[in-house]
Amino acid sequence: MVNRITRFIIFLIVFSCTGDPGKGQDAAAKTDNDPYQKQRYRMVAQQIESRGVSEGAVLNALRAVKRHLFVPAGEVENAYQDSPLPIGYGQTISQPYIVAYMTEVIEPKPHHKVLEIGTGSGYQAAVLAEIVDSVFTIEILPELGNSAAERLKNLGYENTEVRVADGYFGWEERAPFDAIVVTAAAEFVPPPLIEQLKDGGKMVIPIGAPFRTQMLMLVEKKGGKVTTASLFPVRFVPFRRE
Amino acid sequence: MIKNHRPKFETKVLEHQNIKTPRHQDIKTPRHLTLQKNLLFSLGILSAAVIAFQLALMQILSFVQWHHFAYMVISVALLGFGAAGAALAIFRKWLMKRFEWLPPLLMILAGLAMALAVGISQTAALRFDSYLLFAKPAHAWRLLAAYLLFFIPFFLSALAIGMVFVRFAGQIGTLYFANLLGSGAGSLAALGLIRIYFPGELPAVIAIFPLISGMLLISRARRGLLAAAALFATGIIAFRIVSPPQLALSEFKSLSKTLNLPQARILLEKTGPHGVIQVVSSPAIRYAPGLSLNYRGLVPVSKAIFINGNWGGAVRSRARTDTSDVLDFTGAALPHAMRPRERVLALCGAAGGEIGQALAAGARQITVAEPNSALLSILRNELAGELDSLLDHPAVRVRNLEPRTFLMADTAAYDLVLLPMVGEFGGAAGLYALQEQYLFTREAFREMRRRLTPEGVIAVSCWMDYPLRNPLKLLAALAEALEAEGIADPENHIAAVRSWATITFAVKSTPLDAGEIARIGDFCAAMGFDPALLPGVSAEQRERFNRLQNRQFFEYLDEILSPEREKLYAEYDFNLRPPGDDRPYFSQFLRWKSLPHLRGLFGEQALPFFEIGYLLAALTLLQITVIALALIILPLFFRSQGVLDRAGGGFRQKNGRPGRRLLRTGNKLRIFFYFSGIGLGYMFVEIVFIQRFILYFGSPVYAAAAAIASLLVCSGAGSYLSARLPSLRRALIGVPGGIMALLLVYAVVLTPALRATIALPAGIKLLLALLFIAPLGFFMGMPFPLGLRRFREEFSGLTAGGEDEVPWAWGINGCVSVVSAALAAIVAVELGFTWVMIFAAAGYGVTLLAGWKDIG
Repeated sequence: MVNRITRFIIFLIVFSCTGDPGKGQDAAAKTDNDPYQKQRYRMVAQQIESRGVSEGAVLNALRAVKRHLFVPAGEVENAYQDSPLPIGYGQTISQPYIVAYMTEVIEPKPHHKVLEIGTGSGYQAAVLAEIVDSVFTIEILPELGNSAAERLKNLGYENTEVRVADGYFGWEERAPFDAIVVTAAAEFVPPPLIEQLKDGGKMVIPIGAPFRTQMLMLVEKKGGKVTTASLFPVRFVPFRRE
Repeated sequence: MIKNHRPKFETKVLEHQNIKTPRHQDIKTPRHLTLQKNLLFSLGILSAAVIAFQLALMQILSFVQWHHFAYMVISVALLGFGAAGAALAIFRKWLMKRFEWLPPLLMILAGLAMALAVGISQTAALRFDSYLLFAKPAHAWRLLAAYLLFFIPFFLSALAIGMVFVRFAGQIGTLYFANLLGSGAGSLAALGLIRIYFPGELPAVIAIFPLISGMLLISRARRGLLAAAALFATGIIAFRIVSPPQLALSEFKSLSKTLNLPQARILLEKTGPHGVIQVVSSPAIRYAPGLSLNYRGLVPVSKAIFINGNWGGAVRSRARTDTSDVLDFTGAALPHAMRPRERVLALCGAAGGEIGQALAAGARQITVAEPNSALLSILRNELAGELDSLLDHPAVRVRNLEPRTFLMADTAAYDLVLLPMVGEFGGAAGLYALQEQYLFTREAFREMRRRLTPEGVIAVSCWMDYPLRNPLKLLAALAEALEAEGIADPENHIAAVRSWATITFAVKSTPLDAGEIARIGDFCAAMGFDPALLPGVSAEQRERFNRLQNRQFFEYLDEILSPEREKLYAEYDFNLRPPGDDRPYFSQFLRWKSLPHLRGLFGEQALPFFEIGYLLAALTLLQITVIALALIILPLFFRSQGVLDRAGGGFRQKNGRPGRRLLRTGNKLRIFFYFSGIGLGYMFVEIVFIQRFILYFGSPVYAAAAAIASLLVCSGAGSYLSARLPSLRRALIGVPGGIMALLLVYAVVLTPALRATIALPAGIKLLLALLFIAPLGFFMGMPFPLGLRRFREEFSGLTAGGEDEVPWAWGINGCVSVVSAALAAIVAVELGFTWVMIFAAAGYGVTLLAGWKDIG
């Protein structure tokens, strides 16, 4: 009987010995002043620079914005991982690389006025606010929009303005914009946004939801003609092997 | 003594089988414990509830998550049966000593578990999400918790059934008959219930049946306990019926996201075999897929239809002033821009957009083939005002038929065949990889081509995805269909127009003429679209408005239309080979051998974003195999004595006690292979019939119900009559051999037979389905009881009635069935249904060989 019980216990141990692989965090990276600074710098180096984002202002903005303050409390330890994170209401904070790439693609300048559609937690707006003169951001979900407005205010991003509204209509009172960043993917580009884009301006839109493979689309308006270019987040990927 | 209490038929069976009376029947047995009608009735009701609960869980998981969990439910149900067999093997004595009161208690508890399991699995702490399974490890544990919660009712039910089987092992044929007949009835009952109750309400309603089955068996023994349990369960079930659990959809489903929009509300909802239909309104819902950037008007607010939480279409009427002409600025306008279309066929396009567009473009007759009757009912009644009664327009003819059925029954010719959009905006991450999509197979496109007038076109739009998959596979399917129809130059018959996010194909029977080519060019210029495929198109024209970073897309398109197509199929990282009716998995793109390459390109974490559905199926198979093996190994660990050991021959001394015998490996393996073969063969056949019937009946739930009911009822009859077979020796060779022969015949004739009769009325098809299955199902019910007889007789003198090997055989059968249910889906995806059928035949071949040895 003892033998049988022993075997059963061994069996149970064998079948229950699977750990949770997602828990490991680099506690050593934390410092007293900014406990996540090292992680943030590592994120920029390993996830962003290494994939080809090279614009200094963008990299500096990513190093400056404390991403862990833009994620829900339960996700703080995952804030600097190479993935999107859920922020509630079926919405996500984009993967750091996507944020960096979208920012670089619109070629932001210090004097620019940028419109963002889909504030979410406010992270993309904060990154833009580190670079450009003014950021106007619209969130359709009141819960997210209001908390993002408060967060951005508390963090001192005075050059951002949040509006809770349907992004379809853009922000006519503040138009035209040098660039528009649409962070919430949509099946169509709202005509008012194209109207509110300056001639020579750029608009970037993700095609594909988070947790799926994403492609980005750049819309350019020149002399009344609107053209698009699809941009893959991984620069050139051969899916064919010969 | 016991024989005096038995019905006559039972005595006859026992005499006929020359089976000894079980040893514990020598003691005085109360009348209620004999095999009476109420016990058979109770067993039947319980079995019905088990199958109905299984189908209800499929509906629930398809609603809150996605379709691929249907296979998980089948596995979990079978796991319950396997585990019950193992429990019976280990704790047989303890359990059987309590036979007087334990089965009814288990049945009552099974009812209780059915009523509670879904609600508990939906609590915030336990709810899992497919999308987060690979991103957040906690969700993998939640999935496991869901597994276990759903497993409990099946386990409790199976344990009760198993105890009855063991107790009356000599009448296994009769019991098996009642079990299978009940199961068949359960699948039909589930069909009725699904029409009446929403998914969240189903479990509690079904839970009534195990409760009744348990109450039927309450006797004097522990009457107080059982009555209290029944009362408590009644209270809980009643509460759950009055207050069903709120099902929480994945927050990443389209419906969840839409309901987050301001002022979003569900206007109405209906349930049916095709799932739950919900109509949502919000001032922020607008839909214009791939809208031209040259459009400057208002994109109208629409009501949105969701089917099982997935996008089902926007409700849009051409006649309303605020809808303007938005669809004319999408790829959907391409066929109308080519030339006027008088006769239009819309497959699954009842929601109105394309119908209104075709009417406005001058169509004189529009036929709509829509399989979802609940959707049609909503569109024709509750939403008639929104649609301006478009479906009742004199030019519109609506047929409530599955599109393939319609295509085979219809003889009219059309100027335009419209298909629903392929893929999802941004890709579906493989969530539909295991979903049979018969509308996008080579055979489907061939049937559509035959319905075209000489100038007619098939028009189908597709979301551009990344990595490129859907547009390439769709073109491959169109090209192969044309070639199969004798068109050697598909490049002259196919035009494709690309917007910033979509691509629309227009396929003609005859070559595109100069006028059409010119009009397509004009359409592109006006819309800011680019011709991706058009005779004579230049490289520059292909990217005039919408540049691609990866220009290889055009090379791939050209290659698919060239004789080099096979080379691309072989070298591409994703599966581009177009689906056929034998493997109708359009959305399955994963190639296992590409995984290391993709992992290198995108990293480990991104991998599941491509093909999560198929990866989940593979993971389910892996998990389930481990658990199933454990359930087979466990009894071996704990059963160091018993009939099988003694049958193994050779006494040995163990712990100083005489009489122990080693279980000879050869016998173990023979029993293992015999019942494994049945488990694999039976499940593979069942899955093949379910999948085949999806095309035949046009609905997964109808298909599952028809296949399960027919197969189980016929198997029940076979099982019952197996006891009357005069020669066990002949039966053991003839029955599996006959099944193998039948399966090989079915592998060849089933598809043509189904195709030849698909256009018949549903009632006749149901009858035909029963006829198709009857001979096979009848014989497939026999090997299990025959095997029990065979091994019991082989070990005669050592057994005391066969009650020992029942749980063992049942456990093996159940566990292998668990693995087979998950495995069959993967074999079907990789190799096709014909191979699933061949493997099923091989399974019965193994059974034949394992049962053959030393016969006579």
